[in-house]
Amino acid sequence: MITCGLDLGSGLIKGALLEDGRKLLATASRPTKGNATQSGQLVIDALAEEQNLMTGDIAYLCTTGFGRYMFPTRQLQVSDITSSARGAVFLRPGTRHVLDVGAQSSRAISVSEKGKVLKFKMNEKCAAGAGRFVERCSKYLQVPLEEMSSKALTAEKPKLISSVCAVLAETEIINNVAEEVPLADILMGVYLSLAQRAYALMRYVSIQPEITLVGGLVHSAAMVKAVEQTTKLKVNAVPEAHFAAAIGAGLLGHQRALKLARGGGVAA
Amino acid sequence: MKAAAGIDIGSTTAKCVLLRGKDIIGRSLNPVGVNIVRDAEEALRLALQDARLDRSEVGFVTGTGYGRFKISFGQLTVTEISCHAKGAHFLFPGTRLVIDIGGQDTKAIRVNERGEVADFAMNDKCAAGTGRFLDVCAGALGYDVAEIGPISMEARHPVKVTSTCTVFAESEVTSHVSRGKDPKDILAGLHASIANRTLSLLQRVGIEPEVTFTGGVSRNEGMVRALSARLGLPVNVSPLSQYMGAIGAALAGQERLDGGVAS
Repeated sequence: MITCGLDLGSGLIKGALLEDGRKLLATASRPTKGNATQSGQLVIDALAEEQNLMTGDIAYLCTTGFGRYMFPTRQLQVSDITSSARGAVFLRPGTRHVLDVGAQSSRAISVSEKGKVLKFKMNEKCAAGAGRFVERCSKYLQVPLEEMSSKALTAEKPKLISSVCAVLAETEIINNVAEEVPLADILMGVYLSLAQRAYALMRYVSIQPEITLVGGLVHSAAMVKAVEQTTKLKVNAVPEAHFAAAIGAGLLGHQRALKLARGGGVAA
Repeated sequence: MKAAAGIDIGSTTAKCVLLRGKDIIGRSLNPVGVNIVRDAEEALRLALQDARLDRSEVGFVTGTGYGRFKISFGQLTVTEISCHAKGAHFLFPGTRLVIDIGGQDTKAIRVNERGEVADFAMNDKCAAGTGRFLDVCAGALGYDVAEIGPISMEARHPVKVTSTCTVFAESEVTSHVSRGKDPKDILAGLHASIANRTLSLLQRVGIEPEVTFTGGVSRNEGMVRALSARLGLPVNVSPLSQYMGAIGAALAGQERLDGGVAS
């Protein structure tokens, strides 16, 4: 049975295709632009095309993320906390703590060995500690987003940022530029500042290894390094973890489909 | 009689006021850049020029504001909280509560009948509810922050702005624009949002009339009206409200001069 998980995030819509709740077949993403339904359908079409499937071959579709209610043909929707936890444990079975840093919000989740959420803490009120902060820095420091991390890793003396607020940090960073602090040191300071905000959330739910990073910043080696340095623990960062919530949604969709086939459970 | 100078180095502008006795004889306002030491000197020079006074006529220099420790030539530094309390009391003797909304922080100061600080609360950690918030959101609408107050007052159906964070509010503004909302209505919503944030800060120190509004954002009529509406109280605003910290600093210096401290 093929199931699909669709994660409708604020920056990107991510999709994952799974077989029998055991095998990850494909992942795809598209930017969230205008109509979430249309962008979401593009992701599903891309996944189906890659696997030579018809949309009808997908037995069950489960949505998650900020826009999970905006996709009318879904059969189930689950919160991004539930789905990220499940997805992270699928990718790294030893995971007991999930750190999800998204474009607009971040969360720390402690999970059981089966991927059930035990406790979580999130920040969605403030841009500091979210991917948006990195995007803004990339803009006003005129460093392309995809080069931020590699440049930051060349830092010799990272310049820590004292402002908690993303907007006030901007002024501080501009002052640092004026004082001729090397760019790499400023950039690493940005990641360390994000890691510190993440650490505050993580401590709230208790930190236990293994830690798995999910969400948009998994591709950023500088972020991984900053979190490792701040928590003094090793952090799992696999590229597929960008799709952890979509994968988790696909898994939960499979579970629900099985339950329905057995005659148990009620459709969502 | 020698004059006392008060210099307030804020996050955005430097203000200087020259006081002789109870009279404000000169003032200046200039932007703050990277070189704060030089900006402070420039503020004093411009105020002296305004008063047509020679530097030797100034008997005492007091610094305040976030950059006060960078004033290389002052005799005294006083916190901006004390200065705003003192300045507000000087211009409006009935003041019991001061709201100071500056470029990057907001303060609520409860003052006694002598203009001394009884209690205060501040937000200097986050740009929400400060001048910076208006600045960023005005920019997102293509306006200059100086012009948005009166425009917001023409709103008919104010839009509710739900984001607290400045960064998220900026995106919220953009999405209201793309949904065809009237900029006037969005601006009114932004002013109401700051008024709400301010109210919670004011409640921490206790709300008691008269209320005096100081700091750069008090120059914004729309903000004065939004605050007054939210408080259900009239709000004192002086044309010199932006200079309140500098006035308070000059008054502190004047007290020293009266007390016989030589320059």
